Amino acid sequence: MTGADIVVQILADEGLDVLFGYSGGAILPVYDAVFRFNAEHPRDDGNEPLPLIVPANEQGACFMAAGYARASGRVGVALVTSGPGATNAVTPVRDSMADSIPLVVVCGQVPTGAIGTDAFQEAPVSQIMGACAKHVFLVTDASTLEATLRTAFHIARSGRPGPVVIDIPKDVQNAPLIFEGSRELPVRGYRSRLHAVESATLTDAACAAFFATLGASERPLIYAGGGIVSAGASGPLRDFAHAFGIPVVTTLMGIGGFDTTDPLALHMLGMHGAAYANYAMDDCDFVFALGARFDDRVVGVPDQFAPRARAIAQVDIDPAEIGKVKAVDWHHVGSLDQALDRLLAYGARIGFRRDLSAWHAHVAGLKRHHAMNFSRDSDSIQPCAVIEAINRITNGRAIISTGVGQHQMWAAQYFDFREPRHWLTSGSMGTMGFGLPAAIGAQFARPDLTVIDIDGDASIRMNIGELETVTTYGLPVKVVVLNNSGDGMVRQWQKLFFKGRFSASDKSLHKKDFIKAAQADGFEWAQRLDDPRAIDATIADFLAFDGPAFLEVVIDPDAGVYPMVGPGATYAQMITGDWIPSRDTPVEATGQPTGMF
Amino acid sequence: MRHTISILLQNEAGALARVAGLFASRGYNIESLTVAATPDDDVSRLTLVVFGDDATVEQIIKQSAKLVDVIEIGELTRKEHVERELLVARVEGDEAAIDACLDRFSARLLQREGPQSVVEYTGSADAVDRFLDALRAAGDVADHARSGIAAIERPLVTA
Repeated sequence: MTGADIVVQILADEGLDVLFGYSGGAILPVYDAVFRFNAEHPRDDGNEPLPLIVPANEQGACFMAAGYARASGRVGVALVTSGPGATNAVTPVRDSMADSIPLVVVCGQVPTGAIGTDAFQEAPVSQIMGACAKHVFLVTDASTLEATLRTAFHIARSGRPGPVVIDIPKDVQNAPLIFEGSRELPVRGYRSRLHAVESATLTDAACAAFFATLGASERPLIYAGGGIVSAGASGPLRDFAHAFGIPVVTTLMGIGGFDTTDPLALHMLGMHGAAYANYAMDDCDFVFALGARFDDRVVGVPDQFAPRARAIAQVDIDPAEIGKVKAVDWHHVGSLDQALDRLLAYGARIGFRRDLSAWHAHVAGLKRHHAMNFSRDSDSIQPCAVIEAINRITNGRAIISTGVGQHQMWAAQYFDFREPRHWLTSGSMGTMGFGLPAAIGAQFARPDLTVIDIDGDASIRMNIGELETVTTYGLPVKVVVLNNSGDGMVRQWQKLFFKGRFSASDKSLHKKDFIKAAQADGFEWAQRLDDPRAIDATIADFLAFDGPAFLEVVIDPDAGVYPMVGPGATYAQMITGDWIPSRDTPVEATGQPTGMF
Repeated sequence: MRHTISILLQNEAGALARVAGLFASRGYNIESLTVAATPDDDVSRLTLVVFGDDATVEQIIKQSAKLVDVIEIGELTRKEHVERELLVARVEGDEAAIDACLDRFSARLLQREGPQSVVEYTGSADAVDRFLDALRAAGDVADHARSGIAAIERPLVTA
């Protein structure tokens, strides 16, 4: 076999059923090997076992692979060429690192002898990606190729998941090799740390200490992050929360990790979290952080986060997250699902009981008095009403991907997420242009589900070339663009912190006709919605269409995302807007930006 | 605060750059960095010296500990350890004065051509500074190279 054949064989052995990528000179041997593999191993239904999906560019390919990974929990794979192909992959690789998404990017590289000579389409991928990925391999010794590939998948999916990049020179792809079928690289430091973390169990003494703290608490609150989704721990979280009656707030990445329709759900907290979630965090006396990293968009001012908490407990698979932002009183480094199961069993064994009825009543009052709301009799279309309609019509049973900005926050706030992996968003990196390619990847991962990209007019422009990818592959992806003629979130910040100087964020004079663009890319269903009375009927028609559909919604350009905890402000200083009652005096928007960008 | 950090690193392309990059990306100037193979050919030992506040350096160590190539990482600052640095210097001047200086510090003469001598000294960073001062007093130091610090824990003494 050639090196390229070995690459493809390992992709097949890993159980992949779709690949994403854009070709180019330095990856051609692998592309040829994919073609030959597909021709030689047709599936029973006649389809290719490893279909190769070709996007508009490599950023799209990698976000598709990441969307596939986020929706399925499996490793997504993208194949790109050297130089510009590889550098186009940097943003999604960093995005996947920041959100702990398992991804393998196979990059072609110039031949070994040409590395470092400024050869055509050469880029120092291992250096560039080294700062962005969980790990990078440059395969200069062809005999290690097979072991390297298998190890790359192991690293991507194990521990705290992340992206792994494999840079393969063209001569290594062409090298004649013998396929061994099982080898992996030793990576002994990684393996020993992984073993220590994955085999870590909570001792009886640690469980006793945890329940002593919980027992001393009258207002406990679970703060669940993306780790719940990564670890497949939503079941154990539900059981644990229900067993002891502890309310749950989630981060943006934790959405779907706890059923938002559950009575104990307090939804998202943080900068644009629900007011009641933030007030509950302000009022609680015990925080139990699960796979959450006290990100600045949640914590704001660390000293004043959870100001009444007498104790904080934390479980995470990453030792570096323990005490990184907030000191914790109790912690466990290990798998979330196992830790929660163990605590649940221990609590049951000792018959742990705590009367939290006063706290439940308090939380219910917060939810009632500070419920999410917006202007419901406006003449212009309110974006929240659009999200509510999509939620109503799908019964919250769809995969939602988003771009980044106001639309992302409205989708997070007004959609019900009953299950993990139905909410795909660029959380930590905040990458505009994420939504459409991620939706494409997700639709390949979950052909059984409706996949909706809720996008903004500015975000979708970033990767609008991928509209054609949707129709090329006949994917029934539904694309909603909430058009407010600009970078809405930037405008909101400019309004609050830059005295309304809308520097470069106003797109009202732009000439793009989104409907014609979608039609030009082959969308048979492409409509514009600008009448508030037609929201339900149009969205029902749009979602019912059997195939790709594109809906532009002209929304109120002045609609803001509320609540908002301003940068550098505390939850008590949260601005709740005109439609959500605040219990504190909101902070006056200052004329100057703060240090927290 | 000065931190001495010891790392065992697998010999892989880009491994050193990844470790150094983690420190550099936090804006920490690496005061010194030595790298050499260990008795295991596949493993190198790095000794890093950085100045920074304790909490941030602790976080960098935790982040470095996650790197796939890192086998072991630890801070030596608070442990009993031995630090050594190598200096080679080219000095021009009176032979007798230079030899006296070498004798006083137990330093070595490596080469001598006419009025120029190449000398070698190992010691702690402070001792190297003191030796350099003495050498400058004895002659004209034309050039010198310092290795940066190599450090290792003291032998464990069992009772």
